[in-house]
Amino acid sequence: MSVLVQREAAAIHEEWLGQALSTRPADRPAAEAAITGLYDLIGLAPPRFHWVSSPAVAVATLPPGVRPRPSEAVERLPDWPLPPRFRAAVNALCREIDSRLTPAQRSVDQVIRQRVRLSLTRSAANVLLMQLTAAHGAPAQLGSSWYGTQCVSWVAHYDALRRIGGVELPPGPAGRLGLWAAAARSCGWWWPREGVCVVSERPTAVHTEPWGDAGEVRPHHADGPAVRYADGWEVHAWHGTPVPPWVINDPGAGRISREPDAEVRRCAIERVGWGHFVDRAALRLVADAPDPGNPGARLRLYDLRADTRVLFVVNGSVERDGTRRRHGLTVPGFLTDPVEAAAWTYGLTAEQYSLLARRT
Amino acid sequence: MNLTTVPSPPTTPTTPTMPTTLDHLERSMRVPVVDGLQAQGDLLVIPLSVVAPAVGVWAGAGWTDVPPEGVELLRSGAGGNPHTLLAEPGTCRWTTTVRDPDVLAIGVFEATAVAYLLHPEHGAVGCAPGTYVVRRQRERDGHRARLVAD
Repeated sequence: MSVLVQREAAAIHEEWLGQALSTRPADRPAAEAAITGLYDLIGLAPPRFHWVSSPAVAVATLPPGVRPRPSEAVERLPDWPLPPRFRAAVNALCREIDSRLTPAQRSVDQVIRQRVRLSLTRSAANVLLMQLTAAHGAPAQLGSSWYGTQCVSWVAHYDALRRIGGVELPPGPAGRLGLWAAAARSCGWWWPREGVCVVSERPTAVHTEPWGDAGEVRPHHADGPAVRYADGWEVHAWHGTPVPPWVINDPGAGRISREPDAEVRRCAIERVGWGHFVDRAALRLVADAPDPGNPGARLRLYDLRADTRVLFVVNGSVERDGTRRRHGLTVPGFLTDPVEAAAWTYGLTAEQYSLLARRT
Repeated sequence: MNLTTVPSPPTTPTTPTMPTTLDHLERSMRVPVVDGLQAQGDLLVIPLSVVAPAVGVWAGAGWTDVPPEGVELLRSGAGGNPHTLLAEPGTCRWTTTVRDPDVLAIGVFEATAVAYLLHPEHGAVGCAPGTYVVRRQRERDGHRARLVAD
């Protein structure tokens, strides 16, 4: 039973992850019908729809002739009047379905919550929020926000409960769940204002990599934008970290050295490889020393900038391809001894770190 | 320092937290048991005596017995690849109520038999009976500090 549930939950997770990362053009009639139904749920007449090519455009535009209300300015999204009403409708629907669960279904519910809902929330946070943050120019959050209400994770959870938990819903809640599922399946994010709803197309390309034990993904593309929309709006990402395009397209040693953001710089260095960067940037070797506990490997300390040095370390264990991974750790510029620098990374003195018996 | 070699650590293959990619490392080697400092990638296992009294367990700390499936100490930057503390039932307890001026300690474990730290990519670490603090690794770039997650 449990193995079967796990397997089916994984399949439903895959299916909904595919929806969340879909690059198909929006099904506009289906999306408008679903969103109209959701407006009706909270007692509102059908909105006027304004389709846009990307989230970046969505947060910047309204349809011609529509004057933005101050309370519905995009930077005040958390305070918009409609999202809390949609949220309340979702909460009521969830409570209604939860209250119908039998004890046996509750145990399946736990599996689904973990295997479907949580992992989809994580992937959505990684891949989708990155785009929304870029579009807003400010951090976007899932949580209890409007974007969380639209996240496929809770829809997928209840979809899975019906399909593998044997939960049967009466027409009312089934219909409401169906509206949210249809909206999630047919378009990108949407921004509901009173009388007008801005809806985004989906991206034309999404590149991700596995990130986690439960099928989660994060954005990553080493050779181009991780997410691209038809209007040319792009977001680049290196192993889950959003980066400026140059990090992927043109990561020269000089540019890397001038980059003020440490996280961006780290991604750019990883993009070209630490060894390559050290060679190209002609970093000055401050000192090197044997790595205690790591026979044959040396610790190398280089100048990076005025207040920062980089310690080159070699992993103690071999990779699957037989090589040992080398990587650089940035350390304070006052450190002069590689062993002291390695010790500092773990909050130890050089004498303490010298006791290292083994590194794997 | 005491250095002995024992067979591979206990495995509980049905538990989901168990690493599944150790095969390239573990099948071909035996895990040394060490009572000194050991680094496993971005984690360092330090005998508590090395860093005491600066680092220590708060009085009244709650201790948890390490369960059969182990304790996941830290996930990697890629989300998977957990560092997992494993021990035979009843031989190891664990607390996170730790005083550490550098704020790098994840916790302290106290083992009366050999305890192991497993990681899917780094080799396994065997710890002789004793009390150890497990610390993360940090970086600093200019004024910006970050914890390493490899």
